[in-house]
Amino acid sequence: MTATASSSTVPVEEWVRSFTDASDNDPEIQAHGKYFTCGYLLDMENHHFVVRMISGRVAEVAVDPGPLDVGYQFAIRASAETWRGFATEIPAPMYHGIWAATFRRDMKLEGDVLVLMQNLRCITRQIELLRTVRVPV
Amino acid sequence: MPRISPVTGRYVTVDVDDIQYKVFYLENGSGQPLVCQHTAGCHNHQWRGLLEDEEVTRDHRVIAYDLPRHGKSDPPENTEWWKEEYRLTADHYTKFIVALCDELELDQPIFMGSSFGGNVALQLALRYPDRFRAVIPVEGADYSPGFYLDWWQHPHANAAQVCASGVWDLMAPQSPEADRWKTWFYYTQGSEAFKGDLYFYSVDHDLRDKLDQIDGERCPVVMLTGTYDYLTTPDDGRRTADHIKNAHFIEMEDIGHFPMSENHEVFRRYLLQALERIGSRSATAQA
Repeated sequence: MTATASSSTVPVEEWVRSFTDASDNDPEIQAHGKYFTCGYLLDMENHHFVVRMISGRVAEVAVDPGPLDVGYQFAIRASAETWRGFATEIPAPMYHGIWAATFRRDMKLEGDVLVLMQNLRCITRQIELLRTVRVPV
Repeated sequence: MPRISPVTGRYVTVDVDDIQYKVFYLENGSGQPLVCQHTAGCHNHQWRGLLEDEEVTRDHRVIAYDLPRHGKSDPPENTEWWKEEYRLTADHYTKFIVALCDELELDQPIFMGSSFGGNVALQLALRYPDRFRAVIPVEGADYSPGFYLDWWQHPHANAAQVCASGVWDLMAPQSPEADRWKTWFYYTQGSEAFKGDLYFYSVDHDLRDKLDQIDGERCPVVMLTGTYDYLTTPDDGRRTADHIKNAHFIEMEDIGHFPMSENHEVFRRYLLQALERIGSRSATAQA
């Protein structure tokens, strides 16, 4: 199945702002993210980002950092096509979450996956925010 | 008038393999027994919509039990179960279900289960075809590897949230948010049993070379699978049904791995089709 592409690609700077705002104002993350402190890589093929979270708030989103510029604990990697599948209001089957896309598409969960598991509820919610803020690829 | 549900709960004592269990079950309705198994690491509230579904309960006695170690069914009454790792096997699981049906004196029940309950429905059709009028494997398949994971009980992570959020993607985004969150909530309660259940689901259950031994004429098999299920996909369900004599497969649109719990209103439409195919609905009910 081919994912439905976003109607247009969101400019990177605009995406960083809207992702940060959506996360910092999300009632669920703010209600349950007291210990949501970690750094992770979002590899979207055409761009990659390191999201650094502190106590449930976005401290920094590094855009296309160099190889050793910014540390992170785990990585969520997938093709731009897969990420575009996430960026729709109602994603098609297997584009509806990181477990689904890891089992059935080309998504990879790498690095210290324990940290992902420790923050799974908030990460799951944060990735679902892509349904409204879309993706910059 | 007090708003009391017609659903009642009772306990029944069941002996299997020299182990004694005190089993909690919910029931409502009368007529053809319809025995319902929840998913791994969960409990019988997943069937809350079906238990109060008047169209089904007017000619079916819906019985939704908690498998031992789940919900209100305790672990074994007569063994030091805390000294062993829990790993559910197909042999014990099927014997338990038959013993439960015997204890409740059910005559030719229909068995329906989801996920590891769907897989055990296939095992029942193979091992005890004359004991059931039919089986309805929901989100089941001949083989479902990949979910017997240490993450469900990792000591450095919050097992309740790992289990609950780990199965979140098994539900469809179209399913009502409140029902998905109820299902999530149930999954925060069962991490200790979840992994042991998944030993059956992903390791002990393997019918890939036995499907031709299931006779869907002797024990009708109607399989239901949702399009958002990433563990047992519609392709897995269809492939399984294709290899069982006289089995029937129904793909359920826009629903996932916990259909009865995440969206009963969508699930019931497909379930009614399955019951019609089995022939358990009365003429009045179908009118």
